[in-house]
Amino acid sequence: MLTVEAKNVDFYYSDFHALKNISLEVEKNKVVAFIGPSGCGKSTFLRILNRMNDLIDGTRMTGSVLIEGEDIYAPNVRVDELRKKVGMVFQKPNPFPKTIFENIAYGLRVNGIKDNSFIEQRVEESLKSAALWDEVKDKLKKSAFALSGGQQQRLCIARALAISPKVVLMDEPASALDPISTAKIEELIYELKKDYTIIIVTHNMQQASRVSDKTAYFYLGELIEYDDTTKIFTNPQKESTQNYITGRFG
Amino acid sequence: MTPLDKTSKIDKRKRRSQFIAFTLFKLMSYSVVAMLILILGFITTKGIGVINWEFLTTAPQEGMTKGGIYPAIIGTLVLVLGSSLFSFPIGIMSGIYMNEYATNSKLAAFIRVMTNNLSGVPSVVFGLFGMALFVNTMGFGDSILAGSLTLGLLSLPLVIRTTEESLKAIDFSFREGSLALGATKLQTIRKVILPMAFPNIITGLILSIGRVSGETAPILFTVAAYFLPKLPHSIFDQVMALPYHLYVISTSGTDIEASRGIAYGTALVLIAIVLIVNLLANFLRTFFSKRVKMN
Amino acid sequence: MKRFLEKLAEGALLLSGSITSITILLIVLFLFKEASGLFRSPVIEEGYVIALNKANTVKSLSSYEIKEIFDGEISNWAELGGKDEAIEVVRLSDLTNYYTEEELGAEFENIPAKASELTASHPGIVLFLPKQYLAKKFDGITLDKETIHPGDFFGGKEWYPTASPSAQFGLLPLLLGTLWVSLGAILLSLPFGIAVAVYLAEIATMRVRNILKPIIELLAGIPSVVYGFFGLVVLVPFLQKIFQLPVGETALAGSVVLAIMALPTIITVAEDAMRTTPRAMKEASLALGATHWQTIYKVIIPYSKSGITSAAVLGIGRAIGETMAVLMVTGNAAVIPHTLLEPVRTIPATIAAELGEAASGSAHYQALFALGCILFLITMVLSISVEFISKKQK
Repeated sequence: MLTVEAKNVDFYYSDFHALKNISLEVEKNKVVAFIGPSGCGKSTFLRILNRMNDLIDGTRMTGSVLIEGEDIYAPNVRVDELRKKVGMVFQKPNPFPKTIFENIAYGLRVNGIKDNSFIEQRVEESLKSAALWDEVKDKLKKSAFALSGGQQQRLCIARALAISPKVVLMDEPASALDPISTAKIEELIYELKKDYTIIIVTHNMQQASRVSDKTAYFYLGELIEYDDTTKIFTNPQKESTQNYITGRFG
Repeated sequence: MTPLDKTSKIDKRKRRSQFIAFTLFKLMSYSVVAMLILILGFITTKGIGVINWEFLTTAPQEGMTKGGIYPAIIGTLVLVLGSSLFSFPIGIMSGIYMNEYATNSKLAAFIRVMTNNLSGVPSVVFGLFGMALFVNTMGFGDSILAGSLTLGLLSLPLVIRTTEESLKAIDFSFREGSLALGATKLQTIRKVILPMAFPNIITGLILSIGRVSGETAPILFTVAAYFLPKLPHSIFDQVMALPYHLYVISTSGTDIEASRGIAYGTALVLIAIVLIVNLLANFLRTFFSKRVKMN
Repeated sequence: MKRFLEKLAEGALLLSGSITSITILLIVLFLFKEASGLFRSPVIEEGYVIALNKANTVKSLSSYEIKEIFDGEISNWAELGGKDEAIEVVRLSDLTNYYTEEELGAEFENIPAKASELTASHPGIVLFLPKQYLAKKFDGITLDKETIHPGDFFGGKEWYPTASPSAQFGLLPLLLGTLWVSLGAILLSLPFGIAVAVYLAEIATMRVRNILKPIIELLAGIPSVVYGFFGLVVLVPFLQKIFQLPVGETALAGSVVLAIMALPTIITVAEDAMRTTPRAMKEASLALGATHWQTIYKVIIPYSKSGITSAAVLGIGRAIGETMAVLMVTGNAAVIPHTLLEPVRTIPATIAAELGEAASGSAHYQALFALGCILFLITMVLSISVEFISKKQK
């Protein structure tokens, strides 16, 4: 079953043509990695999937994106409902200046959930899914800023999981972290794939090859190649892909 | 079924509260605009009929119920000029010191706090201070000199802050570039940094002129004359001034009702000054930023 | 030579840099010097003396007590901690009630002797007499060394600088008037200011913002005397009509005008604060399905709350120190206010209205400087708290 289905997506930042005719499909419970040099459009495409680009003035998009069969750019779609379904983890850990507990509970509260026992249960489940529970269970009332960078990022992942999204978007989630924290995040992604469809943007090719089932290579706003990860890294069809993964540029 | 599956009703509710809040904020913002239009519109419609060449170029007559406001216009111009001569050089130099020389020291922090405090001091306190220091202690009497110095002190924090912010906006690499060529710090500031900051500084200075021309409380006891049809001859003379004149003829003139027309005219002239100053500042801001883009 | 010039220029810059600090020091010096003179000024009108019977156990009178005695509000010495004896007020002109004109002498040459005699013979007397008529060997207690007590100023409930025989310099009605008007102003302008700030920082499109910002700048640029004039000719008659008041010049009129004047400060500072909210924080909230409005009140406003507090404090500071507009619309009655619909008088308005009439060096003049000190201290405390709040934010 297809979870994400993008058709002929074009995207512009005022005059700049940032994405050119992108079509791409993601199956349920798979991990897809977006790779490519800086400015290739991979992050822009990721942010199209939860309409985060709506926040930037002067942008324009054509084409269609279906998530679980629903066109997310249809006029009657509510972005807040969409974003509940499509969670996101950002490049740098960005916890709120609140307690650990309230960070996780935030998504539930803004979606109108007042049942405290349910919230407590979800906070625990999410922290366990993000492999953070054992480290923070005694300090849920402490500020999220007291955590290390790696812990903060896993907190942000837990925060995204708390509202039970179908898809989790990760925009270079480990780029600001040390190698040990990075390894933990990668392990986590592998675990999460059982319950979620995950799309991850990364600069790190080893990371892409380790965590993903499929890989999409972007270059200058175009989707050059999209295939099984093993195939992309062992037998790419395009020369540009070959050059990038062998480190000739990027 | 968890509570998460039935949030669509809540979605409707939270979108409605967003709609109500945003509409309210929009209405409140537009009512601020409406208020400004009301004030400007009222004074303009009442005052425009009064203003003509004669009004601007003759002295008040018949207990300030007839005639014009020429001496008050000249007085205000003189005071603006006098205070600028004092506050611009010192304020700019002070701003340079704060941004270029005293960036991290305790002294700089202290000076910054003091500058902020000075900008919070009410204008009437400046009036008291100007009277005690310039009029009485230094013996200048009620004079252009005393009034200009008082107004100059009042506008100092604004000039300093403008200069400081304009200098701060210039990337540090320009300073390094110049210093690397063997220029001294002072040469760098004079030949590279100041010319680059000049447009923003000028804009700020013009806005400070707008502020000074409308101040009343600081000149009440240092220079302003109730009625003085002749023009000043020296810096030790008193002058009339537009804001004080408006105060006098609208609250304590010889015949308040008969002076109403002149009061509207005076208020309109004051508003026109502020309007011109703001437009000029905005024009210069866009003009200079376009020029920078072209480069 | 070049090095020397460089040093010289640096010196000049340092000197200019310290000008604001020097100014503040000078303001403190001059204001407090003049103000402290108030507490060395005699309680009783210049050139006069108050005399009591020798046996009177009350040995000193405060400015307020003298006023109450001469107003007939206090009529027995027991009320002032003395003996149970009725107070007998005698002014110079009252002497004819006790003596014939012949006894006082054709050239009033006998007044000193008779005044002394009268004071000695009436145990409850309070005699108010020009100093020139005081006998060399006066038989009674004279109160001419009495100076104005700090309590008379800080605790005084009346401001009546031309009262005779003892001028009243009570701070309270003016201080309360100032706080009253400013409180009204801030209650009106804070909700508006924050709403406009939210609208500008978060909701308005770039185009709308580019129109609104210059308008708010313009609002900040209009001179206070023009606001006062507008208030006087539009707002005051309007309030008088809708509230059916005897006079429209009220605390409310002052509050409304001040609210308009404080708006630009509040809007600008609060908007700047909201703009410092990191984009990442905002995106995190939206990505969790929060609406824009939820993001504003759950993330942006809490994040910028110290900036918003600064905005409020600066707005209050602006309102408390504002002079001309308030002077023109509040009616300037120096009484302790009870409602917003009464005339009040604020500290800055009092200084502006009365300094012109007060003779340099007189108690009245010094009292106005004392008011200036109070005003200066209030705004200083506000400035420093803003400093403190913004430091905490960092």
